[in-house]
Amino acid sequence: MHELAIAQSILEIVETRAAEYHATHVKGVRLRIGEAIGIVTDSLTFCFEMLTSLDPILAGAYLRIDIVPHRARCCHCAKEFPVVNFVTRCPLCEEWSNEIVCSTELQILEMEIESS
Amino acid sequence: MPKVTIAQNILAANDTIAHEIQQSLAVRGIRTINIMSSPGAGKTTLLERTIERLHGYRGYRGQLGIGVIEGDVETSADAERIEAAGAETVQINTRGACHLEAHMIRDALAEIDLARIGLLVIENIGNLVCPSAWNLGEDLRVVVVSTTEGDDKPAKYPQMFAVSQVMIVNKLDLLPLNLRCCIRARLNDEVNR
Repeated sequence: MHELAIAQSILEIVETRAAEYHATHVKGVRLRIGEAIGIVTDSLTFCFEMLTSLDPILAGAYLRIDIVPHRARCCHCAKEFPVVNFVTRCPLCEEWSNEIVCSTELQILEMEIESS
Repeated sequence: MPKVTIAQNILAANDTIAHEIQQSLAVRGIRTINIMSSPGAGKTTLLERTIERLHGYRGYRGQLGIGVIEGDVETSADAERIEAAGAETVQINTRGACHLEAHMIRDALAEIDLARIGLLVIENIGNLVCPSAWNLGEDLRVVVVSTTEGDDKPAKYPQMFAVSQVMIVNKLDLLPLNLRCCIRARLNDEVNR
């Protein structure tokens, strides 16, 4: 439901950076999003396309999303394991104590531009 | 076609404001709690009772002053309840937005006399999805669940429970009634089949 607000934040950052590089057109944007952050990528793409269609510099821009899988490391046996449905129990020693290795990313990696 | 590296957090603008809020409250010794739940779980009632109980409490700095920022889509009904309970209250109406953002908190804080409070409570919009993504500069995130919602909420809305440090289970007195309703619903399912 907050994908529209996320899409607006992406556009604000991209517009600022595009102006810095004197871009005449932004061809596309690449994101890195963690599985655990709870973003619905279809919804985010829909909101992104809706907002970019209203912006001459960004019209038709593609959105590529790299998903970072949810992984944790057990604090007891140090095993690193994939987390499925937020159940962070170590598959090896069955302890619940762990730290998240990755998947809280919500970043813009790069954009592809045309400039005059 | 040049590619330009950006490498920036999408919610960096929100996080920067949240960080400023946290810093400015920390130097004043104010602790901040962000309370989140689904609509009707009992956030406001829990707050009312807490404020009433803390009313006579005296810490080493004297009586604990409490400030509350009330987030609601519409109406100031909750702010009126909290004010009546004895806390300094500011109402934020989001007019449709499903969560509070850090800049809303910054603006609301301008209306609170920070010299008079030691505890700030932010009551977020009733929603188990969106508020989990927005840092408001709080020290503690609390999620309230009530027995009437059923026991599947942490499994259905995992992000909210993953980002919270405290979970409060509310309406325990309704647990026997709720179990009866569940059994009845299950019986109805079987009858309808």
